[in-house]
Amino acid sequence: MNTDCLDIGLIQAFLDGELDHHQTARVSGHIELCDACTLLLAEAEEEISLVFPVLEREFDALVPTQRLWNKINDSIKTERDNRPFWEKAWTFISVSLASPSLATAASMVLVIAVFAGLWLNKTTVDVDQSQPNVARQTTMPTTAAPIAQPVVASNDSIDGDDKPVVARTGDRERQQPRRETVIQSLYKAPVTESAYMPGEENYIKTISTLTKTVDDQKSNGIMRPAERIAYERDMALVNDAIAKMKNEVRRNPKNDSAKQVLYATYQNKIDLLNSVAQKEELLVSLR
Amino acid sequence: MADFVPNLMKQIVGKFPSGILVFIILTSLSAIAVAQFRLPINDRFESPVPPQVFWGRDTTEKSIKVDNSIILELCVAQGSVRVNGWNRSEVRVFVEDGNKFSFNIRDKDTRSGHPNWVNVVGYAGTKDKKGPTGDCISGNEIEIDIPVNATIKLKGHDINTTIDSIRKAEVKTGGGDISLRNIKGDISAFAGQGDIFIESSTGPIAIESTTGNIVVFDVGPGELGDPFKARTNSGTISLQSVQHRQVDVGSTSGSVSYSGSIRNGGRYNLFTVNGSIRMAIPPDSACKLSATFGSGRFISELAFDLETENNVGGPIKTIAGKYGKGGDAEVKLTASYGSISVRKL
Repeated sequence: MNTDCLDIGLIQAFLDGELDHHQTARVSGHIELCDACTLLLAEAEEEISLVFPVLEREFDALVPTQRLWNKINDSIKTERDNRPFWEKAWTFISVSLASPSLATAASMVLVIAVFAGLWLNKTTVDVDQSQPNVARQTTMPTTAAPIAQPVVASNDSIDGDDKPVVARTGDRERQQPRRETVIQSLYKAPVTESAYMPGEENYIKTISTLTKTVDDQKSNGIMRPAERIAYERDMALVNDAIAKMKNEVRRNPKNDSAKQVLYATYQNKIDLLNSVAQKEELLVSLR
Repeated sequence: MADFVPNLMKQIVGKFPSGILVFIILTSLSAIAVAQFRLPINDRFESPVPPQVFWGRDTTEKSIKVDNSIILELCVAQGSVRVNGWNRSEVRVFVEDGNKFSFNIRDKDTRSGHPNWVNVVGYAGTKDKKGPTGDCISGNEIEIDIPVNATIKLKGHDINTTIDSIRKAEVKTGGGDISLRNIKGDISAFAGQGDIFIESSTGPIAIESTTGNIVVFDVGPGELGDPFKARTNSGTISLQSVQHRQVDVGSTSGSVSYSGSIRNGGRYNLFTVNGSIRMAIPPDSACKLSATFGSGRFISELAFDLETENNVGGPIKTIAGKYGKGGDAEVKLTASYGSISVRKL
């Protein structure tokens, strides 16, 4: 490794296609000559190939506009603010128990707690045989209480005064239409504001399918290191060009040249992926 | 203390139905079992293993009488392949330092009765002499003579291919250069990692290289409307004297150069993401030209009648106009990050 070696942040940016073409050319040029950086690049690619399948669903999802994202985030924040405490607690428990390890631990704790409780309270248990009934009676209000309590808390935070429980319930009911409005507006958003230009979605779907094919082939180790570097460099270039054109089209929807180049670059990306896939298929067929 | 354990058990059994306890214990055990589960180690990071290609040391020559319009199919695992057209109704295959092979006749011509579809099938290796897998042949030098009116369908792993004077060529290689000359009917070539050279050929042409350069000289359509398509990811494309009227050329990170005439009614589409486009056309050319470019600029040595210029700003500019008068050919040049120049030929 020499002093001019690339740091991992730059390599990650290179793989993510975030560098401009000058930087991309510089990085790819350096990687061709530097074994240490080639190794770093390979390691970074391995990490990406581990992470990407996990995030595949998110990547394959259609990308909404920034405006829609803002709207979604605002709505989520509002929903979160208005959510009762017991719902938050329940969500936390549900999410926590989804992990097998935590579920195991919780089960063990539960079992131990049952036995420990019996151990510690053996004298009282001896005395009162009807305690389970009492316990059920006492737990009834405590389980019912959280239902009303968060409503009070949320209303207090909104209205700032003490209101009867009935009024609070009414407030809660009045909030319901507002939530529905928010949700409706979210569902309406894609209808009123399309995230894609005409035909763009088809390109993106095709690219997504081809990328998956090529990534599978990449992970099978068919592609040689030099080819992988060339492929990553070309992809970075194409992605950079697409990003620039998309920004330009968003900035100025009447710029037909940018649209034209955007479509041509999408097509180029498809051709690029196709050629790599075609080669890998050929090599596999010859094995 | 001695009575404690029995009492405790009695209490447990009395207070909790045994079903609940069993349920809790089973749930705990299941959760522990699930927690122990691990995904199998993925073998996708297995280091790339180059295909094991060995050949024997046999030198073999075989020939077969065939129909003039034969289709010859073969797969070559390794070696240098030369295919020549000749004026004989015969196919001859010569393999130097390679594995043995045979002709597999797939079909015969109903009129002449001679084979018109033949596969060259390589023998698999023996215990002593290993051969390539599948039906591929392999050798140091592979020479094939086929009728000039023949079609060859060749696919190979890592081979240098030269084909001369036949009717149709369909070549797909994973690596190595492809050189095609005097192909009179149809060319389809794909080089995974290698350059493609095409010379003095006619007919529809479709060539593609993943990381190689493409050089084309003196080609034309066999029939009106035959297309010419060339594409490479990271190589340059150089076209000289391309007579096709439909020219579609693209490179991702290489430059594109075109030198030759612009034919009436033609459609020329030259595209590159990160490279320049250079055109050299005769001074009397007549066509409509649209140049779209990013960080570079547009230079024209010929008198260019500018019609529209996109001045909206941003990273892309478009210039449209005409060369000469009366030409209805359309030339579309796009270089996302490069310059575009049009020179006199």
